[in-house]
Amino acid sequence: MTTAAIGVLPAKRQGTDHWIQTYVAMLRWELTNVRLLLPILILAQTISGAGMVFGFGLLIPSVPPRTAAYLVTGAAVITLILVGAAVGPQLVAQQKMEGSYDFMWSLPVPRSASAAAWLTLNVLIGIPGMLAALIAGWIRFDVGFEVTPMVIPAVLLTLATGTLLGYALSHAIPKPEITMLVSQILIFMILGFSPISYPAENMPNWLATAHQYLPFVHMANVVRASLVDGIATDVGHSYLVLAIWSVAAATVSALVLGRRK
Amino acid sequence: MTTTLPEVRIRKGARYWTASFWNMLRFEFTNMRTYLVLTLVIQILMGGGMVYMYGFYFGEISDVVKTYIVTGIPALALIPVGFVLVPSSIMSHKIRDTYDFVWSLPVPRLASAMATFALFTSLAIPGTIVSLLLAHSRYSIELDVSWSIVPAVLLTSFMATSIGFAFAHAIPNPRMTNLITNLIIFLVLLFSPIVVQISQFPQWWATVHRVLPFYHMANVIRAGLSTGLVDNLATSWVILSIWTALSWLLAAWVVGRRR
Repeated sequence: MTTAAIGVLPAKRQGTDHWIQTYVAMLRWELTNVRLLLPILILAQTISGAGMVFGFGLLIPSVPPRTAAYLVTGAAVITLILVGAAVGPQLVAQQKMEGSYDFMWSLPVPRSASAAAWLTLNVLIGIPGMLAALIAGWIRFDVGFEVTPMVIPAVLLTLATGTLLGYALSHAIPKPEITMLVSQILIFMILGFSPISYPAENMPNWLATAHQYLPFVHMANVVRASLVDGIATDVGHSYLVLAIWSVAAATVSALVLGRRK
Repeated sequence: MTTTLPEVRIRKGARYWTASFWNMLRFEFTNMRTYLVLTLVIQILMGGGMVYMYGFYFGEISDVVKTYIVTGIPALALIPVGFVLVPSSIMSHKIRDTYDFVWSLPVPRLASAMATFALFTSLAIPGTIVSLLLAHSRYSIELDVSWSIVPAVLLTSFMATSIGFAFAHAIPNPRMTNLITNLIIFLVLLFSPIVVQISQFPQWWATVHRVLPFYHMANVIRAGLSTGLVDNLATSWVILSIWTALSWLLAAWVVGRRR
């Protein structure tokens, strides 16, 4: 009988090295997991980004340059939001339905590393759709872009806020069916009822005021400020609102993921 | 030993057909009962929701543009029933493996198909009316309703249901059907002259839409709700009838064949 080993637990793995190592491992894991879906996801994002620009370009009776600038930058932002707030929750819902969800959390990795890997995956899915919308806008409306370096923090913060929101949503709601439903409603809200691709003065006042407290219009504002000149105002305020939303969503996720069942 | 086999009677005739039609109607209705509210919600989102959505995107618009939006909304509300709900109800039979069971029921297949058409055509009506009322209250445009709205709505709804029925039965893989319904919604919402004039489309794309059914659906309904906006009305009726007939041919071939 060997009793010698009992009572000696392996050293608890922690520290930056371990975190980075698990982050890379989880990123590989997530990429392998969606490898079959990835081309389709990117294609769908590209089609919806470019499609919004060309489609509304067909429908809107007259498109002056300002409307065009709103539409094109808005379409780019919408593709970024949809990745995190819609595609993400559906992937998690799918894991729950397949029963692989609990297994994922049983892996010996810090949960923050796992969340960071998820975020990275969303950036990979999100960027092509955004580029497609911008290129479509350049072809169709000849929008004059004035890209500033601020595009990098703006896009990353937008993606992060959207993804964290979707993350909180999909982990906090136990039933995958409800997650799917909520994410469908979100898509509808974001596409139609948020002043992202059109100026807020097109909406009734009360709705425009409500949007001052929601993250979507601010996502559009920071990205727009970094891409075209002279439309976005009060960008600092938007960064602040987005920061608050992402911290709130991260806190909800941390609470949900940190608890023991 | 000789046994006399029981006499096999093939049930047929108009009486039997009508009875099976009613039975299948009840069967399909019971099957759909949990989706009734969902159907209404989807229609109101596609119809009523889009009025507001297009309004936000379009900004300041003239009265003619407003009239086009309002009179295009009923077509927009009818489309998801025929092109999404009918295929997805058939898909769900395929996914749950009840598809063959439904066809094994001792009813004439035509009666069964007709029951599906009757059910979905009537399911589509309330949502269409609610959407039109919402649109009307949003833009308060004077509508000029004529009796021709009744056959217009019935034919467009019937045609949409027939097309959805035909392609959902013809395509064996439910995923493919799902993909097609999503593409159709994308095409209808962003790339079709339903709520706008066809003249603002590029020539080649307008030509494509003179062959596809969506523009003509909007056309016949618009003619029933307004005056002076629609020309070539007869062509639209003919093209809708051709689409209905074609989808019936396809459906008859798919449903009638033996495996």
